[in-house]
Amino acid sequence: MPQEFKRQYKEILEQYTLRQTEHNLYEGQNISRQLIQKNISPEEVISIHKASLEEILPELPNDVWHSFDLLIEVMIRYGLALKEHEALIQKQENFRMEMELAANVQQTLLKTKVPDMLDLDIGMISVPAKEMNGDYTHFLHDDTTVGIAVADVIGKGIPAALCMSMIKYGMDSLNGAETEPTIVLDVINRIVEKSVSDSMFISMFYGTYDTSKSLFTYASAGHEPPLFYCAESNSFSELQAKGLLLGVISNVKYEQHSISLEKDDFIVMMTDGVTECRSKDGFIDQNTVMDIIESVRDQSAQDMVEYVFHKLEELQEFEQRDDFTLVIFKKK
Amino acid sequence: MNISVELNTLDELHIKGIIGGEIDAFTAPILREKLSDITLLEKIHVELNLTDVSYMDSTGLGVFVGFYKSVTAANGHLELTGLSSRLKRLFDITGLVEIMDIQATDKEVKIDETV
Amino acid sequence: MNLRSSVDIITEWDIVAARQLGRNEAKDVGFGTVDQARITTAISELARNIYLYAGKGKIEIRQVTEGNLRGLLVIASDKGPGIVDVRKVMEDGYTTSGGLGAGLPGVKRLMDDFKIETVIGEGTTISASKLLR
Repeated sequence: MPQEFKRQYKEILEQYTLRQTEHNLYEGQNISRQLIQKNISPEEVISIHKASLEEILPELPNDVWHSFDLLIEVMIRYGLALKEHEALIQKQENFRMEMELAANVQQTLLKTKVPDMLDLDIGMISVPAKEMNGDYTHFLHDDTTVGIAVADVIGKGIPAALCMSMIKYGMDSLNGAETEPTIVLDVINRIVEKSVSDSMFISMFYGTYDTSKSLFTYASAGHEPPLFYCAESNSFSELQAKGLLLGVISNVKYEQHSISLEKDDFIVMMTDGVTECRSKDGFIDQNTVMDIIESVRDQSAQDMVEYVFHKLEELQEFEQRDDFTLVIFKKK
Repeated sequence: MNISVELNTLDELHIKGIIGGEIDAFTAPILREKLSDITLLEKIHVELNLTDVSYMDSTGLGVFVGFYKSVTAANGHLELTGLSSRLKRLFDITGLVEIMDIQATDKEVKIDETV
Repeated sequence: MNLRSSVDIITEWDIVAARQLGRNEAKDVGFGTVDQARITTAISELARNIYLYAGKGKIEIRQVTEGNLRGLLVIASDKGPGIVDVRKVMEDGYTTSGGLGAGLPGVKRLMDDFKIETVIGEGTTISASKLLR
């Protein structure tokens, strides 16, 4: 193969030594493309150059020929670096494909169905910033009660996603939607505390809504407080509940509170992907988020979450930095 | 994407650090690495001043919690000082104020009191 | 087969001696300039590894024949600490000079055949050969 290139190269070189035209240089550029495609290394190219020159200008002094040997020696490493570069690109492509597969597995694993309740309109959106989602939303329900878990792993990408599966199995070990929120958090905390590395933590909110009493009971493990919208007074308030992040220490006391919902009242649960939105003028503050939600309060819960996501996406100029999850419970 | 971390060793059991800039997913690894350079001797006292931290997200929080756990494991004490109200809120929400030694800036404490 | 010679690697200057020996042998076998440069670069890399990680060792060069092909076999041996994770040092981008195409993956690319034997606490022997085609 190099013999073939040598013939072509020699011809171009010969022409160029005679006439230095742009056309010759263009041919040189074209042959370089073929050389790269055929994996001809830089040191080989110089060797081809030297051999061609020997035939075209055999009378050149010896020091010139020697200088090529030094150049060949120097170029060996460029050749190696190039090969390594190619191998690394291949490797990266393999990683990317594996990542895509993993993201699919995760989606199947964490799939949760938004329950259909008589008394309650539920809307949910969860959009990862990268391939893998570090936010987790899970519904548990029976005829009268619906439980909702919203969790956020500190950190993004694969480690966060792996961590998520742990919560999923913890949730699966619980029986039914009526389990008290503080018990849910306590169970998950013990699992997470035992199995997670020192700088990985999870914030989680758990709430249950009892349709027979229109009562929402909740507890939080260091999670962003949900917003409660009271239709009668047309105002928002935060649903505060003290409790430490999951995975820091094993014995944590979580506060539990309840709130009654009247018709058209709603609760907005979210991850910090919502509250830590940044636009180019700085943070998008909570009041802005509230205003956006309020402007669509008459729509269905699903339309509301989708509208808020798109609106915030717009404000951030479509650069999503963090996983984004928003759930709305609205009393019909 | 800028962060500054300056660690001053007063003596081997007292370290005072000054952190400035933004602590997010990009800069948190830099901070984590700098903090891991500290030799955690028994009963060490580390103070990290965050007055000049303009932004911190949950990744940054993770670094401090991880560091807090290591310091505590060495029977040491970690103190975070000069937190703006925005930063302080992160530690409030996550319940970390209950277990960590967190000091907000004087100025903003006053503002908080009037709210 | 019986043509063999070696250089002890103790100081950085011995790397040059090993290269010189390799180049002479490569010329003798009939390798062209490019292959000479490849073989000496491989020898350089192996000798440098000995100098940096094992302290001292030996580079041995043998002329070999395989069928009707002549070639060169380079054996680098040391009684150093051994390599804990061979798979890792053979990984691209792992070497401390990562991305510069150096290290053992580079040696493997420069030569036709590459073998590595290592025992923790006892030492490492790397054999790399190249045939003249």
